Amino acid sequence: MNNLPKLIRRFTGILLLSFILLLLVNFVVLAFLMAWQSPSVASSPYNVAIQTGKAFQASENGYTLQEDISTQLKQQDVWAFVVDNDTLQIVWKTENLPDTIPTSYTLSDIADLSVGYLDGYPTYTGKTENGIVILGYPKDSFWKHTRASWNYNFFAHLPQIIFIVLTVNIVVILLIYVIANVRFLKPVKPITKGIQDLSVGEPVHIPEKGLLSDISANINRTSDILQEQRQQLKKKETARANWIAGVSHDIRTPLSMVMGYAGQLKDDANLTDEECQKAEVIVKQSKRMQNLINDLNLASKLEYDMQPINSAKQNLIAIVRQVVVDFINMDIEDRYPIEWQTDEALTVCPINADKDLLKRAVSNLIQNSINHNEQGCKIYISVTADNDYCTVIVSDDGVGETDELIEKLNKTPHYMLCDKNTTEQRHGLGLLIVKQIVSAHGGTIVITNNSYGGFLVKFTLPKSK
Amino acid sequence: MNSDYLLNKRILLVDDEQELLDMVVSILREAGFCQIETAKTVKDALDSANSFQPELAILDVMLPDGDGFSLMEKLKGGYPVLFLTACGEDDDKFKGFGLGADDYVVKPFLPKELLFRITAILRRSYKDENPLVKLHGSQIDFLRAEVIKNGEHIPLTAKEHDLLSALYRNAGRIVTIDALCEAAWGDNPFGYENSLMAHIRRIREKIELNPSRPVSLVTIKGLGYKLIAEGR
Repeated sequence: MNNLPKLIRRFTGILLLSFILLLLVNFVVLAFLMAWQSPSVASSPYNVAIQTGKAFQASENGYTLQEDISTQLKQQDVWAFVVDNDTLQIVWKTENLPDTIPTSYTLSDIADLSVGYLDGYPTYTGKTENGIVILGYPKDSFWKHTRASWNYNFFAHLPQIIFIVLTVNIVVILLIYVIANVRFLKPVKPITKGIQDLSVGEPVHIPEKGLLSDISANINRTSDILQEQRQQLKKKETARANWIAGVSHDIRTPLSMVMGYAGQLKDDANLTDEECQKAEVIVKQSKRMQNLINDLNLASKLEYDMQPINSAKQNLIAIVRQVVVDFINMDIEDRYPIEWQTDEALTVCPINADKDLLKRAVSNLIQNSINHNEQGCKIYISVTADNDYCTVIVSDDGVGETDELIEKLNKTPHYMLCDKNTTEQRHGLGLLIVKQIVSAHGGTIVITNNSYGGFLVKFTLPKSK
Repeated sequence: MNSDYLLNKRILLVDDEQELLDMVVSILREAGFCQIETAKTVKDALDSANSFQPELAILDVMLPDGDGFSLMEKLKGGYPVLFLTACGEDDDKFKGFGLGADDYVVKPFLPKELLFRITAILRRSYKDENPLVKLHGSQIDFLRAEVIKNGEHIPLTAKEHDLLSALYRNAGRIVTIDALCEAAWGDNPFGYENSLMAHIRRIREKIELNPSRPVSLVTIKGLGYKLIAEGR
């Protein structure tokens, strides 16, 4: 938005600069021309006339002109004659004096020819002993300023006058320029605003008129295309998330039947142990499916920003503790004992978070340890806090993972977020969701092996003030 | 757990899928509930509710002629309601709880989970009809807010009553320190851990034969407490 005044400032600056430069160049060229065109002081007609006057020698027989001056005059095709002070008659003349030149002069004639012309020839005078020498230069060789007469004040203040005139000129030109520019830039203003809006993805509509209507129309069209594309993308994402939500919804009812009956059979006293065990496998696998459905739905919603994050002030310890207790209450066989390693002195860890999502993150981590350790394992959970951050660590003493896979888990995107076709072995969504939830809360996550040889996930969230 | 008195409660079950109804009924019957009525539509449910006078309603959210939320508003029976639904969305959950639902179970579920929730709701809603809760060496009478140990009647304070109720609702399960604080002191109970320990100590003195070696109210270190009731 600040581009326009900047533009005008720059244009005006360039204009002023070029104006001053132009003047300067003009002055230089003029001075150069004057120096080149006007005769040097020695060879100016006035000087030549004065020198000629001095070069006469008066004698009894009249005047004689020095030889060198005489040749010089001849070379330049200049004629000359001398008028006597007393008689006002020509007493000496060069040979090339035209016939049309009169032979006697009045004082007013002399006055005229000293400032002007004689019969069209520019004339110059010099003083001799008893008269005056008049040099006649060829016609049209010089122009004489015959009637120069100026007010003295005008010349006395000429520098100021020139300065004022120049200033007024510059101001007028600038004014014309600025007005013209503003009128020209007026239609540019909505265009620049339009382009700015376009860059932040807002819908743009500029009136299509004036000099730049073509550009306006193009911007409008671009905006329309962008909006349409955005809408389509949004539609696609919504459709995908809805599709996933729909599928997971539709699977829930049949799966509850499987789980319900299998759960009953598992505890049926009339069945053999082997049959009960089979039922238990069904239960366990359906639970896996249940987790997968929940994860799939949440992951897609988090990915497309469709999951509302209902942040409120929470005690992180209470949240983690509840999840741990839920697992302990569920795990009747005691195959996955959970050890709570949080310092008992630490009772409150205030954070701003969505309670349900955080519970989900922690429970996914615990579930992850369970899923990857069929033989059972011990799970260690701790919450620690420093001044600014709270950290949750979930680890186990199970089989762990290869360094290679851990590197991959930390760095490469999940296959669900991968834009390439991948044939890589696919892993669950549990960790992806934890990552998404942690990052939605402005936290960081590290996945690694621990000193027990098992898996360790550590996430850190900013403490609320 | 001596919660046999709950098994006679009349339960109304509403879901549009026959097979699911059959399954839930079988789960409930196996657990010992004997008065169960089912309905597949809002209309049927309202009819049954009138004649059957349920003491607990288990409702699906999506029904062919309406939804469970509006059905719940129409029922207005003063009895607890549990939603059993395939809609796992948080919005739906909040809506259900906002209307005063007592619990919300998302499909799929394990029979044990469903039964636990139902028992917890019934216990909470009909606690006044509760006979004595048998513990090892003592009994709790929630109605009179007292403990009977060795023939002696020991009164419970209000906080002790609240804490024991919360523990009893989840008998056999760990209740976190935070949940207990919330039960006794309300929302966001930060910094009540020491008070809680003091109260637990006093409760133990009342219910345990040997308070320094608790059997009925056990500590799960760092996490919470568990009440172990005798019986069923």
